Amino acid sequence: MTYAAGVLVLTALVGLFAGAPLSLIHRRVGYAATLVASGLLVVAAILVLTGGPVTAISWSGVIGEPESIRLDGLSAFFALTAGIVWIGTSAFSLDYDQHSSSRLAVAYSLTLGSIAIVLTSTNFLVFLAGWEAMTLASYWMILEATGRPNRIFSAAFVFLAFGEASSLLIAVAIAAFYAVSGSFGMMATSIAGPLTSLVFVAALLGFGLKMGIAPFHMSEWLPIAHSSAPSNASAVLSATLTLAGVYGLFRMLTLLPEGPSWWGGLLLIIGAVSALLGALFAAVSEHAKGLPAYSTIENNGLILVALGIALIARVEDLPTLFTFALFAAFFQALAHAITKATLFLCAGYIERSTGTVDLNRVRGRPKAGNAAASGAILVATLSLAAGPPLAGFVSEWMILEALFQSFRFSVPALQFLGLLAGAAVALAAGLVVVAMVKFLGFSVLWKPVVTDRAPRRWGLGAPMAALAAVIVGLGVLSPWILQFLTPAASTLAGYSLTAPVSGLLAIPNGWSIVSGSPFGIVSPPALAIALVAGLVPALAYFALGGSPKARRTPVWASGRPPNSIEATYTSFGYSTGMRIMLRGLLGTREIRQRAGPAVSAEIATPEAYNVELEVLDVFKVFYDSLARFGLWFAEGLKRAVMPGRIGRYLAYILVVVLLVIIYTALFF
Amino acid sequence: MSAPLPEVGDPPPRARERSLTYVDADRSLALRTDYESRETLLERPAQLTVEEIGILELWQTTEGHPHRIPVGESVEGYGVFTFPYGPVTMGVPESGAFDLRTYGERVLEIVPEVGYKHRGVAAALVGRSVPDALLRVERFAGNFSASHGAAFLRAVEIAEGIGVPESELWTRALAQELQRVYNHLHLIARVAEAASQNVGVAQAHALAEESLRLTARTFGHRWAFGALASENPLRRLGPDDRRALGSRLRELDREFASLWELFLSSRTFIDRIQSTATVSRADALRWGAVGPTLRASGVAWDDRLRAPTPPYTDLFVPLAQEGSGDALARVLVRQEEVRSSLLLLDQILDRWSSMRGGESAPPAPVEPGRGIARLEAPSGDLVYDVRISDGRVRSVGVRTPSQANWPLFALGMRGGVFTDFHFALESFGLVFADTDG
Repeated sequence: MTYAAGVLVLTALVGLFAGAPLSLIHRRVGYAATLVASGLLVVAAILVLTGGPVTAISWSGVIGEPESIRLDGLSAFFALTAGIVWIGTSAFSLDYDQHSSSRLAVAYSLTLGSIAIVLTSTNFLVFLAGWEAMTLASYWMILEATGRPNRIFSAAFVFLAFGEASSLLIAVAIAAFYAVSGSFGMMATSIAGPLTSLVFVAALLGFGLKMGIAPFHMSEWLPIAHSSAPSNASAVLSATLTLAGVYGLFRMLTLLPEGPSWWGGLLLIIGAVSALLGALFAAVSEHAKGLPAYSTIENNGLILVALGIALIARVEDLPTLFTFALFAAFFQALAHAITKATLFLCAGYIERSTGTVDLNRVRGRPKAGNAAASGAILVATLSLAAGPPLAGFVSEWMILEALFQSFRFSVPALQFLGLLAGAAVALAAGLVVVAMVKFLGFSVLWKPVVTDRAPRRWGLGAPMAALAAVIVGLGVLSPWILQFLTPAASTLAGYSLTAPVSGLLAIPNGWSIVSGSPFGIVSPPALAIALVAGLVPALAYFALGGSPKARRTPVWASGRPPNSIEATYTSFGYSTGMRIMLRGLLGTREIRQRAGPAVSAEIATPEAYNVELEVLDVFKVFYDSLARFGLWFAEGLKRAVMPGRIGRYLAYILVVVLLVIIYTALFF
Repeated sequence: MSAPLPEVGDPPPRARERSLTYVDADRSLALRTDYESRETLLERPAQLTVEEIGILELWQTTEGHPHRIPVGESVEGYGVFTFPYGPVTMGVPESGAFDLRTYGERVLEIVPEVGYKHRGVAAALVGRSVPDALLRVERFAGNFSASHGAAFLRAVEIAEGIGVPESELWTRALAQELQRVYNHLHLIARVAEAASQNVGVAQAHALAEESLRLTARTFGHRWAFGALASENPLRRLGPDDRRALGSRLRELDREFASLWELFLSSRTFIDRIQSTATVSRADALRWGAVGPTLRASGVAWDDRLRAPTPPYTDLFVPLAQEGSGDALARVLVRQEEVRSSLLLLDQILDRWSSMRGGESAPPAPVEPGRGIARLEAPSGDLVYDVRISDGRVRSVGVRTPSQANWPLFALGMRGGVFTDFHFALESFGLVFADTDG
């Protein structure tokens, strides 16, 4: 069993990387390879979660430390999540990727392989190498976005800049970790000492950068929205690249001691702010890929919030709440990754079938083409909007339920923080509903005015529908899924946990998720059964020949001919109320430009003008000015040091060498 | 074989007549509706118009007068779309429609689409005798029947150069002021209704109903149809009737005063209409606003003061004027005018017995057989241009206050939000029947 799992892990790794050379034969061969390898990875992860940790291979590293490829409970959970996502995206890519070259497929498979390295390595040096490979491979993937020679460099550079900042911070965290523990081993026992807080903060910021949390959320939405990265790439970036960040943070927490309670407080603050900002910008985004990207920021914020509650509960010695919040964080990571991947595939389907990623112009045309795709869009958006009994509902409920219990904390400041975070998360949940209703409403639910039917594309629809089925399954079977995730949560906790699952009233034991003892309870399977049972009479009625009591009439367009007016409420208009109401947060401003003739002497023609309502991300302004400062500084330095005179340049080199010598002499 | 049934959304069959000009194009502001293309155009001919003459009298200049209504689909931008509203929809009380250009929530531009209510009144008058024509003129817009009738009759009298008994002029003034009271009360109720001031709305409607019943008691018809015909046997203007009317009106005045106190005490009501659909003084003059809209923007113009006809020459007419030009200012002007009309009615009834007997001669016509009359209808300056010969109407041009005020509504709504719509529409007192004719 163990042996089989080890072989599977290795085969999966090889298969993911093999996708790169195989893509050179044909891109579909590459995608098929990653598809199979992802399947193997999922099987291996399931074996590990049921049977225990597996070391596939180990060797002696460059500095003599043991290095290995290994799956334990924690990494198996993330490998499972990523594997499921990759099965969907790889299968989708078979039909979706129609670029002339196979460069995108190569970059795709390298990205997948390096994420797998990150997830399976046991030594920080290997981890960091995988991390860097992951950043570079995904940078390449974004560069291949358009599939045309004129690549969009600016968006990719933003991604690279944030990626390298992330690597740098993680390197700091690892260095500090090494200074304390004297080892790069990731499976080592926990460390202690004054540097642990530095390790924690550097790791939080470093991994947070990859997760796209505030104030680094630009790293998440900008590359996806601005370069219009292909949907399979976007799904991998938004669902699994951020998942690697989550994994890194979780892994670091297994190595760190309990820590002071401000660690959890910091997580709460960053998480709540990210959730709110992400949801806010998702609600005012009209980009079929930008909107899910913003939603990723929100969801990763929620993971941090759940984790924050868990950390505080651990310090406060509240084991029940700790367990519950930890499971909430894991389930949120799982639910989000799969749902978000589905939504990006949906965005890709919309793009492919309507030729636009502008929700204003999508106008219900995807519906005409493919029932499976429409169903997937419905399930994915409903799940992200926390519609029961889907996966997103369960995770959202668990996180809010954990936040409700912040009154159990002994420190008033933490109680208050929990309260504020709870309000922010609840507000974010509401704003996300706006975003998701917009996505759903302006794609699937819109009554198409155009009657041309998009071609049926089952190659795209089937993977989407399969992932949607997973979302439904995760939600309905969530109590058993939670039990299945116990090894992962136990790895982080450091001791064996019991899943917060029970029964109450008429619901059998193990069918309900409980928080507290019991504080709140929800039973998604019972909910699903009730939903289906509610439908049974209606279905029986129709089956026995009953007719729907509905009257079909032509569309009433205020008494005007239905076809003469384009009933054109834009998706932009749908969320403008929010832009205006929340102008303080969004920095909304109207830009008005004259576009037409002025009033002439004899006759005044209508004054034509152009109007744009813009929202502003203050952080983007900050980063823009930072970038401008960087350019200005570099330019100034270049002029000062290298004006073309050899003397001054040599003097500069001399000064630098002297500084380095002094530095080494002082500190080593 | 029968004609094909009209399609949903087709303009009503009678409205298919193309491009109707309401006023002789060389004399006044004309609102044209092209029923084929559904375009609304307001054009000013190059010569001075009646309206411009009024402005010239006031400000000695007509500079900066553009000649077309500033409405038209000219706003573009990301997410900007047209939101069609009407003609058969909740919230638009008559058959009229609007195209709103918006990016959601905020009205960037609003294009009134008139013409659905068109009955061809002016065309139907041609060739008729004066009493026959009066019957139709009164039905131009029911709630302005007395003003339309009086303006038409005056234009006819100027054209024919016939004198009118003083008592008839006073009766016309009585009917007009009663109707002004009704109209202003009705509009105040409508504005308050949009702000859900249910108690005040019920009371204002009750007072408006009272004014209608007083009109019915005095003239035999709630909308004062037939009130201006001297041979109408239903008119009850005897001393006892006048005394009873006077006492009922004083009661109405008291009740309205207390009702207005109620409205003023509602912060939500005042807040809602304050700075809603603001019309600046410059715009009001530039685009030819009339009536309460003009006076609410700080221009002291009232035909009863500036171009008074008997009996207003003998009466004290208070001027209602506000400066801020928003919906609140227009409601305030209407409120003041309810009071001033009640004061005028009081004066008319009080001095009725001391009225000079005999006839009042009209001014000379601009040309033989053609009379132009203007008077202050409840919504503003109403102009009739009538050609008559051999006792038969030859042509009629009308410029109604609703026609004049549409551009101001379109301007005032710019930058407002959707929910401002009803406050704006009702505060301007725009009536589609009055616009289309």
